[in-house]
Amino acid sequence: MDKILSKKAFPQWVKKLQPYRIYAPSRDNGIWIYKDIDKPEGIDLDFLTTALSAKAIIFPQREIFLEFEQTNESVPEINEVLPKDEPTIVFGVRPCDAKAVTLMDKVFGGDFEDIYYWKRRKQTVLVGLACSPPPSPNCFCLSVEGSPHSKEGLDILMTDLGDRYYTESLSKKGEEILNLGKGLFTQPKAEDKKKKEKIHADAEKQVKRHIKDLKKIPPKLQGMWDSPFWDDEAMSCLRCGICTYMCPTCHCFDINDEIYASSPPKGKRIRTWDTCQFPDFTMHSSGHNPRPDKASRLRQRIMHKFQYFVENYKNYQCTGCGRCISKCPVGIDIIEVLDKVRDYGA
Amino acid sequence: MVNVEDLRNEAKRILKEEKVKYIIGYTKSQNGMMPTPAFIKESKDVDQLIWNPTCIHNLVKFLVDEKRRKHREKKPDERPVGVVVKGCDSRAIVVLLQEKFINREDVYILGVSCENGGVIDEKKLAKKLKGKTAETITQDEKGEFVISTKEGKVKVSGEEILAERCLECRANYPVIYDTLFGNKARKKVDDPFKSLDKLESLSERERWAFWKEQLSKCIRCYACRSACPMCYCDECVVDTINFAVTADTSAEEKAGKIKWIEKSPISSENFVYHMVRAMHLAGRCIDCGECERVCPLDIPLRFLNKKLEKEAKELFGYDAGFDPDEPSLVSSFKDEDPEDFIR
Repeated sequence: MDKILSKKAFPQWVKKLQPYRIYAPSRDNGIWIYKDIDKPEGIDLDFLTTALSAKAIIFPQREIFLEFEQTNESVPEINEVLPKDEPTIVFGVRPCDAKAVTLMDKVFGGDFEDIYYWKRRKQTVLVGLACSPPPSPNCFCLSVEGSPHSKEGLDILMTDLGDRYYTESLSKKGEEILNLGKGLFTQPKAEDKKKKEKIHADAEKQVKRHIKDLKKIPPKLQGMWDSPFWDDEAMSCLRCGICTYMCPTCHCFDINDEIYASSPPKGKRIRTWDTCQFPDFTMHSSGHNPRPDKASRLRQRIMHKFQYFVENYKNYQCTGCGRCISKCPVGIDIIEVLDKVRDYGA
Repeated sequence: MVNVEDLRNEAKRILKEEKVKYIIGYTKSQNGMMPTPAFIKESKDVDQLIWNPTCIHNLVKFLVDEKRRKHREKKPDERPVGVVVKGCDSRAIVVLLQEKFINREDVYILGVSCENGGVIDEKKLAKKLKGKTAETITQDEKGEFVISTKEGKVKVSGEEILAERCLECRANYPVIYDTLFGNKARKKVDDPFKSLDKLESLSERERWAFWKEQLSKCIRCYACRSACPMCYCDECVVDTINFAVTADTSAEEKAGKIKWIEKSPISSENFVYHMVRAMHLAGRCIDCGECERVCPLDIPLRFLNKKLEKEAKELFGYDAGFDPDEPSLVSSFKDEDPEDFIR
């Protein structure tokens, strides 16, 4: 279902979506972050790449699993905590970040369904905004099976036509929230459609960065486990968690019991994000660490995204958002690393 | 003016004469204007070295890596490592020497003077350029900065694009070095703590609200810790396994260890993390600004460290990282040290 929404009518539509919790990009000094919005005025759809992707809304950095308390001598009381029933809309989702959600679906679905993830996932409506021009100089979505106007993972795709949005509903969830704005939307004319298509085509031309022959990389990586290549590439790595925490597809986590009182014991079991870049990520209880240095951790990041994930799910675990490149404090550039992998030993 | 050829020639000489294992310097990145750290092992590669106002990183952090790497090697190469440092970075070397983390003979210091300039602040630059991309930045004879973009050249004053710390810098040329490039004239700084004025004028309640908002953004990626040359502990209090575990460590011992901080990125834990970091840097921070530069959420971390630097100065007359023979602030005392603030 294709519709047109004027920019003037956009705040009115948002007001009609009150039963939903709404997240949207909001400016915070020099960066954009998704904020819980109570008034449409807080929404800034003229934004560059958000610091964190919509991943942080569906797979929050902190998730409470259960609460426990020893109420009498013998039996501890355990209460499961599930995410609240809270239909949510996320505005301004970039196509790369929406595609990333579909990759996380594979991880949290499959053999075992993660109830916490799916509770949030199912009640969240992702409203995308086509990129025009690409929001970061390091965007490379076209190289990893994406595009600045990809619909994958989205419930609605909006395209900015200047004074109005071309709004395409892509799912039942999307249709439902369009219907809440009945009367605000108009039918697109043939010229609107043409304009939208031109904007999409132009945006593709403006994506500046590309990975050449990406298909050659997964088989190449198979033979590079013990290569000294990783030592050289990781020399400048600082071992921080930026590349993985900012990544819309990285999904590793840790589970800890946080104790608030010891006698009688009381606390919560909590899942938090974790990253292969931290020294304690693979630390064994014996004291042995199979990934003892930064070279082995960089190798893990690259191999997970471009070999293991491909083997397991037939997709690259990267959607080309460019965050890990733009935010790396020392300029480690995943495109350069992959270029070198492809040409290594040739 | 620093002539980068002089730096390259000296690098070539010490590599050729096998005086150093390798040289840590700056090189142009393949993508974008900002340089990346370079590790030059052979004299034929010295032309990769660059020097300009975008050479922002504090490369002293890599001496910490070098020490760890050397420790793992059975027969380590005992030669020093060459490192390119600015004034602020050289103060980090002084602190590492004072604390005996490294020895003077472990490092060959290629000191570069910032003269009357400094390094740029990427956020200020982005604001100034309003969407345009800078290709190069140079400083002219008059001290003005020339930014080249595709659309033409823009001239700006230092104040408009230099990092705040450079405007308050008391070490515009290295305080310790083996070879110095550029001149040795101290830059006059009226008030090295001026950037604190605004925050200090706020009430306690307002400051609390300010930090609560700022630290709530923290995602605990620990980039501030990772970029800091002073954060060199093998075991960090914030890691979930923050003590040495060996095959002999019993389950009871592991269970009995105190967890000082939880992994949850919530207000209380974020505060603990940032307070621990700030306190551990009191009297040690040399204001290289790396913690704030690397923060992906733009948390103004420099304020915390700058405030403690001011306290050390006002209470004990102590300036970190100027004299390698002076003991460090927190491991020494004088009879006349004030104590009226101890309650």
